[in-house]
Amino acid sequence: MLTVYRQLLHLYPAEYREDFADEMMSVLAEVRDQNANRKIIARIRILLRESAGLVTGALRERFSAFIEMQAELSIGRFTMRNGFRFPKSTIIFMALILAGLVMAIQRGEQIAASPHVNQQIGPIQAVHSTLLPPIVLFLAVFYVLGFVGWAIVFALRRSGVHRLADVSGQPK
Amino acid sequence: MALYDMSREDITETLPLTEPVLLILLSLAGQPQHGYAILKDVERMSSGRVVLSTGTLYGALRRLLDVDWIERFEEDETPRGRQAYRLTPQGRRNLQLEIDRMKHLTRLATLRVATKES
Repeated sequence: MLTVYRQLLHLYPAEYREDFADEMMSVLAEVRDQNANRKIIARIRILLRESAGLVTGALRERFSAFIEMQAELSIGRFTMRNGFRFPKSTIIFMALILAGLVMAIQRGEQIAASPHVNQQIGPIQAVHSTLLPPIVLFLAVFYVLGFVGWAIVFALRRSGVHRLADVSGQPK
Repeated sequence: MALYDMSREDITETLPLTEPVLLILLSLAGQPQHGYAILKDVERMSSGRVVLSTGTLYGALRRLLDVDWIERFEEDETPRGRQAYRLTPQGRRNLQLEIDRMKHLTRLATLRVATKES
């Protein structure tokens, strides 16, 4: 049982393990010892509960910076303060966007395969060669914007602004 | 009316606390406790309704340490792996704020229900 727990602790970030792994192993050993005389079903349930706790705890620690950043940037319902809770409408929007994309590709293929040639504008040419540079430019711009946004959030975190919510107007 | 006197400034953005966090803070309100003692105390206080896993407990302790609501308590001859924790003054203040908030809510609810019944 402890071997399983020890392996699962490796899922945590190294810094966290350094601070808490010994304590957690000690507590897990106490939990095991205190329940050693219980029925096998009860012990399996405890093993599953502790394992699930370690896995979810490790995931939370791994993504804690991301979750906190999302919480600071959250707007209205699109908050992720309590972990990865998407609004259900996200799935519908994503499905609609995907359907639109598939339809656009199919329509483009139909146009490209069409034998009709407009006399005024000539035959339709493949757009791949002209589409590539704007895509690269588009990605580069958003990459830079994302980096600037991240830098601002990082600077705010470094300045301690994110801790203002915990001060509650009283001196420490 | 006194029930409506609680100003918004008194209510931090961190409130209300989740039940596990509230129980962990209550467990530390009396005296410093180490991890396993907190687990058992939380289970006892909630009459077995809230059973924390070790991963959940230490996730909460890590966050409470980060915001300075609790601190490590150095005991004499502490065996390795039995680190005790205690409330900081800030943690105790915020716990009291949460208790006041809950008292306020309970009194308000009692009053509203009594008014409706009468």
